[in-house]
Amino acid sequence: MTSMRAKPNQVSRRSLLRRSFMRPPTEDRNSLIGHSRVIPYLLSGPAIFMVSLLLAFPVLYAIWQSTYRAEVIGGETEFVGLQNYIDLFGDPAFLSAMNRTAIFVFGCLILGISLALVFAFALNKAGRRLRFLRGITIVPYLVSGVAAAVMFRLMFNAEFGQVNRTLEFFGIDGPEWFSTPSLAMVATIIAQVWTDLPLAVLLILGGLQTIEPSLLDAASVDGATGWHRAWYVSIPLITPQLAIATVWFSYGTLTSLGVVLALTGGGPMDATRTVPIHLYETAFVELRRNEALAIVVVILALNALLTLIYTTVSRRYDLRS
Amino acid sequence: MTTHADDTIQTSSPVPPRATGGLRRRLLKILKRLPVWIPLALLMGWTILPILITLSISFKIPGEVYSAPQLIPANPTLDAFREILARQGFKGAFVNSVVVGLGTAILTLLVAVPAAYAFARFRFRGRHLLLLFTLLPRLIPSLGLMVPLYRLAVALGALDNRLTLVVVFTGTILPLAVWLLVGFFQQIPRELEEAANVDGTNLWLRIRYIVLPLAVPALITIGVLAFREAWNEFNLVLALTRTAGNRTLPYELWLLQDSVGFANNPGMAAFAIMTLIPFIFIYLRIERYVVGGITAGSTK
Repeated sequence: MTSMRAKPNQVSRRSLLRRSFMRPPTEDRNSLIGHSRVIPYLLSGPAIFMVSLLLAFPVLYAIWQSTYRAEVIGGETEFVGLQNYIDLFGDPAFLSAMNRTAIFVFGCLILGISLALVFAFALNKAGRRLRFLRGITIVPYLVSGVAAAVMFRLMFNAEFGQVNRTLEFFGIDGPEWFSTPSLAMVATIIAQVWTDLPLAVLLILGGLQTIEPSLLDAASVDGATGWHRAWYVSIPLITPQLAIATVWFSYGTLTSLGVVLALTGGGPMDATRTVPIHLYETAFVELRRNEALAIVVVILALNALLTLIYTTVSRRYDLRS
Repeated sequence: MTTHADDTIQTSSPVPPRATGGLRRRLLKILKRLPVWIPLALLMGWTILPILITLSISFKIPGEVYSAPQLIPANPTLDAFREILARQGFKGAFVNSVVVGLGTAILTLLVAVPAAYAFARFRFRGRHLLLLFTLLPRLIPSLGLMVPLYRLAVALGALDNRLTLVVVFTGTILPLAVWLLVGFFQQIPRELEEAANVDGTNLWLRIRYIVLPLAVPALITIGVLAFREAWNEFNLVLALTRTAGNRTLPYELWLLQDSVGFANNPGMAAFAIMTLIPFIFIYLRIERYVVGGITAGSTK
């Protein structure tokens, strides 16, 4: 009978239907739908195959191949154990890339989460205009990282960029953003935050919208001002959303290649050469692919750590919706 | 307006005019709303200004960018757009982006709908994989896939091929798509399908005529998210394409940025603006789907 269901071409539609689904309703299962041994595997098979091939296999491949190395570029690879990792963590270029990535991620988190909080609180009070304003908020989500980088390159241009023109208006001499190492990092952080902010705002806004108005009213009756209500009532209540937004922001910034590569290319003087740039150059410029896979594994491990935080948070607060 | 208010005051009461009181109250109200309005104005500026400034530069000629840097161009011109449209690199990449974007959206739906139906309706051993589906895209960013998928594509002889891009992008968006659809399918009452079942309808017809019509919003959401993913993806295009004929827009924009340097700022601006075109056209229609999709996809 199961083989019949597996080969629907051999039987007419009606007989197939009778065989597989026209069963009398049983006591233990009160539904007629969803009883088959083979059909669910047929339906989900392609998706499971594609995800295994394109997401799961690459990870295993990366772990496996990161223990090999070619002595000559493009030559035969041989097993070297953990040597790639040992070399990686002894490589000052990689260590300083890790360092810069940490600065980059923390910079993005501080700027991004503060902006997201302010914007989400304001949107929550926007009332009738909420839908329109929220629609504007998510526009950067639709802009590719490279296009965003081009926009910010134009904005931060030392000669004609609107940022320096605005500074000039206030009597400040605008700096050369992309030839000063620390300022290049600042500009990169701002561009990255711009592309990743919509999700954080929406997450925090979603949290704010679930707060019972009565709680805020009670605080008002007790004499709490707006700021007090935000700090002592709203923010503690949206801790889970805040945590999730933080983790999501970290994912995006930790693995950002397009924005940084198109904005600064890692320069000036390697000032914005983060781990993703280091990975790109090792793999596709220096063509040391097996060594690059060791970097991939390090990035995947960091990501797994973030995922662990994420699952812990969402399980503890049982986030649904 | 004020004279009208004066009239009513004179007729209603002889006490000192209350117009100033009303004004003060209105001012106070505005002042009270300032903590909301200022951040909202900031939000608008933060989001829109980079796009507006780029748009402004795209309407100038290269020299004008330096000599007349004001936001509103004195002599707006479409030269930069014409120049970019005439570039072979742009045309090819635009067509590729559209083809790959639509291909990804269609393939994602074709693969995700049956899988999600299976996860939503059947009890089977593979069901626990659903949890994996929710975690995989977070565990594995496209950055981590660049080198392994490059190697895989070389081994399969699939490097530098638009179909490869479609399949790979589908793979990266599938977990999210399946996850969103499962949630949606579970909300469709089983009773509807049971009734159709009693009337003698098979699985395919039930999906076709009961489940899918009810799931149209979810299907649009997933189509849009898949299209966006393919349209904006940079890392994997960088890793998997070699020749201009197979690149999509972000890669081509990056190359342009690398090659023209400072000379053709309006050209770059125009290119960046044109990568937004599909979203500008359909944005108002899809906005709520996008909002729903990205929030649902991230909390859980």
